Amino acid sequence: MSGRLVLQSLYCSFTRKVPLKHSFLPSNRLYVGIFRVSSNEFCTATEPQFVEKKHCNIGTIGHVDHGKTTLTAAITKILAKDGLAQYVSYDEIDRAPEEKARGITINAAHIGYSTKLRHYAHTDCPGHADFIRNMISGASQMDAAVLVVAANDGPMPQTREHLLLAKQVGIQYIIVFINKADLVDGELLELVEIEMRELLSDFGYDGNTVPMICGSAMKALNGDESEFGAPSIRKLLSTMDEYVPPIVRDLSSPFLMPIDNAFTVPGRGTVVVGTIKRGIMKKNAEADLLGFGQNIKTTISDVQIFKNSVPEALAGDNVGVLLRGMKIKSVQTGMLLTAAKSCFLTNHYKAKIYFLTRNEGGRRKPIFSKYSQQMFSGTWNIAVRIDLEPTQQMMMPGDHGEVYLTLLEDMVMTVGQPFTVRENNVTVATGIITETRSSINVPKGKLGKVVLKFDD
Amino acid sequence: MKLTVQTYSKMIFQLVRRFHAGPVCRAAESSLLAKLRKKTGYTIANCKKALEMHNNDADKAESWLNDQAQAMGWAKATKLAGRTALQGLVAVKFDKEHGALVELNCETDFVAKNEKFLKMIEDATLACFKFAHTHMQAKGPVTKMELDSEQLANLATQSGKKLSEELALFIGTVGENAVLRRAECWKANNKDVKITGYTHPAPATPADYSAGKYGALLAYKQPNDTEDVGRQLCQHIVGMGPRKIGNKETDKPAKDTDDETCLIFQEYLLDPSYTVEEVLAKHKVEVIDYIRFSCGEVIEANMPGVEKQPLDTVQTLQ
Repeated sequence: MSGRLVLQSLYCSFTRKVPLKHSFLPSNRLYVGIFRVSSNEFCTATEPQFVEKKHCNIGTIGHVDHGKTTLTAAITKILAKDGLAQYVSYDEIDRAPEEKARGITINAAHIGYSTKLRHYAHTDCPGHADFIRNMISGASQMDAAVLVVAANDGPMPQTREHLLLAKQVGIQYIIVFINKADLVDGELLELVEIEMRELLSDFGYDGNTVPMICGSAMKALNGDESEFGAPSIRKLLSTMDEYVPPIVRDLSSPFLMPIDNAFTVPGRGTVVVGTIKRGIMKKNAEADLLGFGQNIKTTISDVQIFKNSVPEALAGDNVGVLLRGMKIKSVQTGMLLTAAKSCFLTNHYKAKIYFLTRNEGGRRKPIFSKYSQQMFSGTWNIAVRIDLEPTQQMMMPGDHGEVYLTLLEDMVMTVGQPFTVRENNVTVATGIITETRSSINVPKGKLGKVVLKFDD
Repeated sequence: MKLTVQTYSKMIFQLVRRFHAGPVCRAAESSLLAKLRKKTGYTIANCKKALEMHNNDADKAESWLNDQAQAMGWAKATKLAGRTALQGLVAVKFDKEHGALVELNCETDFVAKNEKFLKMIEDATLACFKFAHTHMQAKGPVTKMELDSEQLANLATQSGKKLSEELALFIGTVGENAVLRRAECWKANNKDVKITGYTHPAPATPADYSAGKYGALLAYKQPNDTEDVGRQLCQHIVGMGPRKIGNKETDKPAKDTDDETCLIFQEYLLDPSYTVEEVLAKHKVEVIDYIRFSCGEVIEANMPGVEKQPLDTVQTLQ
């Protein structure tokens, strides 16, 4: 019998390790690449479900001493055994380099690893402001968070602030990892769990269903195979795979395509080029061309991908679209091609914004309402006026908060769309749209004379 | 086979455990522990220890915990003392003749948003404010006193406790290092001299106490018949961070107005078409002194070359 076991284990480790180690990511990518090309060649619509490894952004939050970093290190160590990650030691994470992303210093450690199902980008931000900056600058939008709490301490007073942050940055899925479970008995673990569930419910999460995993990151890091050691980390990983649903491409919404370029094909008409952001674009569909105060109705005469005419194209495809009865003069880079009546134009938005500090190349002086500058988003730019919340007197460089944007002309912007504000060719602010508001009048094209109404 | 053994052992273990402590009894213990924890907020491990020591007598356990809290706080504070605390808040409290500006640091900005932290910094600020009322002796137009961590720690709060004790308790509950970094206590010795304060972010309605990332105190003279611009000037100081007031005769304005470090030559924040000097003249204001704290700047700058206001009016503790 033992002989059989030995054979079995040999067989298992052989089949598991060898092929994976050598063909980890590159081949995976290649595979996806081939698949895409071939599906493009036949018809994009037939195979919407690509066999690609799904990506997921995850972060750790929790008190400084409760073992966030140890947990991250333990995860990479355990996955490294299966060849799915590179082991990153505690010191390496702790000494996280200050990352320069789009001119903003983000004090965060980014670590990548894969499970058998998905690829994860793991973020470990030390503070609240770092998380917000991370989100606003678009460095990473977090899909889920692992809340680490030590069993011997239980939730701390500031755990409330951690959950508040999770709510603020729009994290829908939280997994609780009760760390240092080896230090206390089952009764205490139960109590920590009850307290956490209560707290989660307080913040609008479904406290009864949030998964809780007890374990010891330290034990796992030391290669311990008992209940709270490595198995607890594996359990956490499989929970992450199961509990956080895969992020699917949005194919159900009406289509939307920002226009990168446009040209005239003699004898046929105007062709606009761009990448479809969401939805399915079908031949002969009614469409609107929106932007810079214009709203032009048109019909899609033809859709082409790599010079091949196709009946429909999906989100993510780069396409050329022939528009019926469109003059090249009326098309501008930065306009949007959308399904008829699916989007509306407005010049008024609410946004979360971050003003860069002086060290990051931002302003030195504070910002007041009526601050007017050029705003850049996607492929276009336009004059914008920024107004602070009426309760706020000013914003200092380094501050983040909610502001009202008033654009010189009507544009289409979707919630979550990023933008930057530049002053004298220097980026001074970056932000994302949080709310579309109804259009307001700009008297004689002068932003300074706009009168804002704050309804709330 | 291994699996079956494991399952059996687990079952046996659970069985034995059930005999050992019946489910009813266990639930009662848990809820007692949960109650004590909710009431006191001390760590789970400590609550359990307290209950064990006092045979599940919740009242005794609670009083024991309260007795121990100070000692445990000290222990924790000593353990965490070396860790960098860069985050936190600056708080200001003032009336017409007195002002206090206090900086309290912690490790993460999560803690700085917690109500326990807000309570801590308010206590510290009130202590300094009281100190400005009772202990400062008159000399010059404004008596100023700079307090460092140690001097701050020795101040007494309204409840009679020392600030250092309160701080240790606070460190014990949040488990993070916290430092009473510095404070400034001001007292005006002259009826003409007014003191005002400002913090950023400012509260929606002006109040005599507020806390934020930046804070400033300003002492100025202004006749009563002109519109009071003290708060606005204080906001300007917070926003623009001038290095010194500047003197019209000896200082020269910088070539680029953006690099201006003298208060009087700077563009006025609320109306950049005027300089501060013009605004002062218009409202007949005389700026006597100001101080500005930016949270974490002491550690960041490591103190070298920090330019200070003239020290002739400063009174020391000795």
